[in-house]
Amino acid sequence: MKVGIIDYGASNLYSIDRSLRYLGANTLIIDEPSKLKEVDKLIFPGQGSLGSAMSHLKKIELFEDLRIHLKEKPFLGICLGLQVLFSKSEEGDTQGYGFYKNEISMFPPDLPIKVPHMGWNKVFIKQDHDLFTNIENDTRFYFVHSYLLKDFDEEKSFSTTHHGIEFISSIGDENIFATQFHPEKSGEAGLKFFDNFLKWNP
Amino acid sequence: MTVAVRIIPCLDIRAGRVVKGVNFENIIDAGDPVETAERYNAEGADELCFLDIDASYENRSATLSTVEAVASQVFIPLTVGGGVSKLQDIERLLEKGADKVSINTSAILDPSLVGNAAKKFGSQCIVVAVDSKREGEKSYVYTHGGKNKTAFETSAWIKIVEGEGAGEILLTSMDRDGTKIGFDNELTSSIAKDLSIPLITSGGAGSIDHMIEGITDGKADAVLAASIFHQKEITIAAVKDGLASKGIEVRL
Repeated sequence: MKVGIIDYGASNLYSIDRSLRYLGANTLIIDEPSKLKEVDKLIFPGQGSLGSAMSHLKKIELFEDLRIHLKEKPFLGICLGLQVLFSKSEEGDTQGYGFYKNEISMFPPDLPIKVPHMGWNKVFIKQDHDLFTNIENDTRFYFVHSYLLKDFDEEKSFSTTHHGIEFISSIGDENIFATQFHPEKSGEAGLKFFDNFLKWNP
Repeated sequence: MTVAVRIIPCLDIRAGRVVKGVNFENIIDAGDPVETAERYNAEGADELCFLDIDASYENRSATLSTVEAVASQVFIPLTVGGGVSKLQDIERLLEKGADKVSINTSAILDPSLVGNAAKKFGSQCIVVAVDSKREGEKSYVYTHGGKNKTAFETSAWIKIVEGEGAGEILLTSMDRDGTKIGFDNELTSSIAKDLSIPLITSGGAGSIDHMIEGITDGKADAVLAASIFHQKEITIAAVKDGLASKGIEVRL
């Protein structure tokens, strides 16, 4: 089993790679379309801006091929990797893959909170999921983001988190799972989550 | 019900080893960086901060290897500072596994470095470290490890780097550093009230109560300390228990 990590030119993909290799996984950095065929699962890392990520994927001609593989292989999107699944974001006029229509918005400006939302916050698990196996409700994971998903289909929302307002911190839909938090920086809880992803058979 | 206050141990590194010393002539070896990082991780550190105290050309590669070795074994956020003066320095550190870099002297020499770095790598990974010293009613920024006074008042300088796109401020009180009489909470709270990005307080922590006051009185989002953790005077777990007993959110 091999896990492909999407390289869109500006992310902390090596942090994810190091976490997975620590757990004994085989990994491959995906920086061209032909490599997609070599992997069984996919991770879309999170960091950087949606616009530059999308234009980089188009430049290396990965954008459309990835869309096909996204529907077939167990997929984990992290932070920006969650936002790419949506059609629109307040972060510029960039289009993601558009699988879901809900809007990715900024934290409201009038809240007494620091933005970016940076640090360890609680993940309230609303529904069981294979990726939360042996992870307790209210476990803290590491977050770094300024944009968020406020509303989403109840059946596909797996956790929420509170920072000034409540937002959706993970979603799941058949072979797709995506988190606003960063498992690769979440210590033991993050490693457990990745281990669950490695074992996952949706 | 919000994001937890962060406890950040800071490690001085030199030529691939953790060192400690009262001054530059008195540096002693304090262990292996990976082992030390693993110990702090096990104690519940929320992030780790590495400061390269001898960022000479020869030792730069040792620092990069150290960052890579730690980042391959400990999976919590890692900030690295010391001698960061250009975008290429930041790029190399991030490639090796740093999540954030802290910029100090070079930001003063060229404030646009902060803006350019934030644009290229994202604000979340650019920490501006500010060494501040009081002079009467005012506080001024110092560079080069506290050796050179600048014309910038601390509050004005922090507003400048916030505007440039810094993601976080690491504010060290030189007056309190090493004194163990507590953080300069008056300074920190005066800065924090006008700041939209997270503030880490540093310099002067000597007890668990000081840590608590840094949050309640200093209004900081995170506390950083070096010697009290290295010397095992107090553990990170004890600090967190103390904070939690006052109703402050921590990751236990």
